[in-house]
Amino acid sequence: MSSRKLLTDFFVLMALTTNVSFVVFPNGVELFVTVVTNLAATLLKMGEGRVLSAELMATGLVADLHLIPALYFFYAGNPAEAVSLAWGALAANVVSVLLVVIDTVLKSYMEEE
Amino acid sequence: MQRRRGRRRTRLRERYERRLFEILRELSIPLVILHFTLAAGTLGYMVLSGGDFINSFYMTVITIGTIGFGEVVQGADTMAGRIFTTFLALGGVGVFTSTITVIARVIFKEELQHLWRRLSMMNAIDKLEGHYILAGFDEVTAELARLLERRKVPFVVLDDTQEGLARIAELRLPYYLPEAPFEQETLLAAGIRRAEGMVVNLGDDARNISIIAVARLLRPEPEEFAIYSFASSPDDAERLEELGANRAFYPGRMVAGRLAAYLFHPESSYLQGLFDRLAFGEETDVDLLEVRVEEGHPWAGRRVGELRRELRVNVVALRMPNGRLDLDLDDDHEVRPGCALILFGRAERLEKLRERLEVERELP
Repeated sequence: MSSRKLLTDFFVLMALTTNVSFVVFPNGVELFVTVVTNLAATLLKMGEGRVLSAELMATGLVADLHLIPALYFFYAGNPAEAVSLAWGALAANVVSVLLVVIDTVLKSYMEEE
Repeated sequence: MQRRRGRRRTRLRERYERRLFEILRELSIPLVILHFTLAAGTLGYMVLSGGDFINSFYMTVITIGTIGFGEVVQGADTMAGRIFTTFLALGGVGVFTSTITVIARVIFKEELQHLWRRLSMMNAIDKLEGHYILAGFDEVTAELARLLERRKVPFVVLDDTQEGLARIAELRLPYYLPEAPFEQETLLAAGIRRAEGMVVNLGDDARNISIIAVARLLRPEPEEFAIYSFASSPDDAERLEELGANRAFYPGRMVAGRLAAYLFHPESSYLQGLFDRLAFGEETDVDLLEVRVEEGHPWAGRRVGELRRELRVNVVALRMPNGRLDLDLDDDHEVRPGCALILFGRAERLEKLRERLEVERELP
């Protein structure tokens, strides 16, 4: 078990769960935590030697580029727009988690070979 | 799957990009620590101010960035706020400065700059077509590079030796790859599939043979892709030609032949020099061109005088199908199919003529 992989996977999953919690119950602190976990996940993905590292990085950046404007809209008094952007980020985060699972399976398969 | 993986070769670009991201990975952990410090500070001030995100973030940045404009967020001037600011400043300043140091160290890393330059050079090489590849860069190839530059013929240099790289840097060549020239991925990155030809000069025959073999695997047709190689002896030159080089040269014999030409024609040294320079591509104002006239060629059956007037170049000789050179050409001489015309004239006029003939040849 790699500690770096554990940390990255933890934040990828956490990004999804906090995103869900903001969408279900929109409030400022939830959105802030979602942005923080998403950015942490993206930074940790940087330069990782995974099979699908490019795809993972791309989905992470998509989620960030939805959530950062969402934070602005939320505090600028347009929470509806923030929630809709967070839905977009949620889709990217679901893909991200799926990619992490596929990547792990692929890697273990390749190691076995 | 294993077999497929074994067969797949990593492309040079992929290798450079992977290394680039490996270097950037060094930024990851310091940036995550900075990110969490900013997040903790912002969250703390948000709790103190009752959810004022913008001012909380601003307060955190000015605190850990040692700007310290004052307490700009509500709740920061309370006892709890000041305790929080104290701990944030104590921890945050260290995190901020060390992160900036790491970023600066990574960005100014020589390897990162080299990789970046190589990647942009590879983008430029991808746009080249009809260029030449010079494998190995010693004094002789450097001289060849100067001649090609003068003729505005694009070329890519492949060399991974210290001496070669120093020479490349000295000449400020636009296209080069500091990689092992005989690797397939290096030749592919140099655009061998779109290249016109290659000059092989790797210092020893074993290395020359290996690059010729790899190049011939990628470009098997000698008519479409010419390989000119250097050889360490006349026997090795023959062997290299058998193995796939269009022509292999033993430099000693070439230099001796050129010197002998001067020795045997001392009274016409200017003309000897002129033809020499033409043959070696050093003369840029005037040039020679050989045009084969086959059956159906627009020049077949025409008079030499007509062609001289129409093309505005000198028809100096006709090479007959049996190889004999006919130099006594008057204006009424007929150009028969199977002959080759030797034209002499201004380089730019001959170049235009060559382009026109190529276009005509491609027409149905």
